[in-house]
Amino acid sequence: MPLRRLSVVMIAAVTLVAAIGASLALGAVSIPLRDVIDALTGNLDPGPFKQIVTELRLPRTVDAILVGASLGVAGALLQGALGNPLASPDVIGVTGGAGFGAVLILLVFPGSIALLPVGALVFGLAAAAIVFAVAWSGESRGGIGKLILAGIGVQAFFFAATTATMVIYSDRVQSAVFWLAGGLVSEGWTNTEAVWPYFAVGLIAAAALMRPLDRLALGDDVAASLGARPRLIRLIACATAAVLASAAASLVGLLSFLGLVTPHLVRLAGGTPSHRYVVPVSALVGATILLVGDTLARVVAAPVELPVGPFMVALGVPLFLWLLRKTV
Amino acid sequence: MLEARGVQVTIGSKEILHSADLVANAGKLVAVVGPNGAGKSTLARAAGGLQRASAGSISWNGEPIERLRGRKLAKLRAFIPQRPRVPDGVRVQDAVTIGRSPHIGPFQRETKADRDAIERAMERAGVTQYADRLLTTLSGGELQRVQIAVALAQEAPALIADEPTSHLDLGASAAVARLLRDLADDGLAVVLVVHDLALATAVADEVVVVSDGRSVAAGPPLDVLTGACLADVWHVDAHLEAGDAGHTALHVAWLRDHR
Repeated sequence: MPLRRLSVVMIAAVTLVAAIGASLALGAVSIPLRDVIDALTGNLDPGPFKQIVTELRLPRTVDAILVGASLGVAGALLQGALGNPLASPDVIGVTGGAGFGAVLILLVFPGSIALLPVGALVFGLAAAAIVFAVAWSGESRGGIGKLILAGIGVQAFFFAATTATMVIYSDRVQSAVFWLAGGLVSEGWTNTEAVWPYFAVGLIAAAALMRPLDRLALGDDVAASLGARPRLIRLIACATAAVLASAAASLVGLLSFLGLVTPHLVRLAGGTPSHRYVVPVSALVGATILLVGDTLARVVAAPVELPVGPFMVALGVPLFLWLLRKTV
Repeated sequence: MLEARGVQVTIGSKEILHSADLVANAGKLVAVVGPNGAGKSTLARAAGGLQRASAGSISWNGEPIERLRGRKLAKLRAFIPQRPRVPDGVRVQDAVTIGRSPHIGPFQRETKADRDAIERAMERAGVTQYADRLLTTLSGGELQRVQIAVALAQEAPALIADEPTSHLDLGASAAVARLLRDLADDGLAVVLVVHDLALATAVADEVVVVSDGRSVAAGPPLDVLTGACLADVWHVDAHLEAGDAGHTALHVAWLRDHR
């Protein structure tokens, strides 16, 4: 692997390890790193430190890594499959659907708050399913323009439904605002246990899609003449991205900016569009960005937690714009 | 090698191709010519398996195309599309590597043999000197040679090129024409869809004239592209002349209305 690509991987990996340490040690209460390690290896006596590390911060750290990796991969898959640099989970309707599913539970059925991740997941997938059903119909089935237009339509529909629900239940809107802004919570393993299979399936499918997506680079005709099935590959890649983005939304709310930006960062920094590089490194970089963002959001104004979504965007956009200006 | 008979193609509810024949053999270059919208590209795409035929028969080495799917077909014929995508950030070498993909399984890596084939394809198409350049920095002629290299990396015995010279200047067109002729002389079966009748006459062993969705004539260029044929199919008063070294000229009475 050329030095430039390797150094991007190394920098991201070192930052991620440092962020894992910081995420477990820092927060409203600072815990010495040695105690953190002892808590993880089971050598720390039961007490508040052990409880904070293993029951609050570890699940949150794992969630951040899973979600960051999944959003990075989802973005890389979508941008690759659609050949469009603007593609993100918004484009296939997932963000709108998941947002509506969450708001529905939060505002209309606040008694069933435990169903929040399920609601986001189910509606995110349902929105993507509608988009795919429309885009894979008729003469131009599987066409990129048709898919993107269907996605924008479905996205607009679910955003309208979300807004309408918030207006109708305006007295309860407070609880939905934080979720829509996007952010991690320290609530143990319950939600992670419910949705981890979706992450697993999505990430494994993404690994199998890397080479087929590379073969789409020269266009559908070339890919088809080489024996690939471009429309099928595109459908599977989009469906995989939908699963990953819906599962991510179910844990942290709406953070689709990460899915848009991460693959671009990887391509700009690594200097190659090959999916065999961009997909796995987007997982690494996405996980790193989200974990660093979440840790900073918890620490900067501790004990107050800033919402990680807006915080990350505020930090990430200048970096992104700087890279964009420098390279293109 | 390729034998297509009575090919009919319907796209949506519109019948684009009514009945067309196309035969290609090893070591021969056959040019498919005809007016805009006559169905030349559709015939080439159907023969190459990129467009499903609604009737007729298409076979490669005697095997019906319906039974040749995916990578099996990719090892029999390469296809150079009319308007290939030019992606950002992709280098010539990476693009030609994509052309090798029918030989590489889903979870395999490129072998030495694959890398050699990629090297040979770049050499043959004359793109080795810009192997490390980005596709987006190439001229139209250079890009077309890269497309030919992508096709050659497949190492298929037949090559179908859909209007490879339509956006090129005179020099670049001539270079592509010479390359395709040389490939036929090397033993490949070459199908060339082309507008330029002078170019077709110079390089082709045989031309197939497509008009209104039908193949209306086939044979050696000068036998087929007679003044009567040009008047019938293109509605012009014109005739072709040929000399040595592929020296050809198309004389057209541009200002005479021939309808």
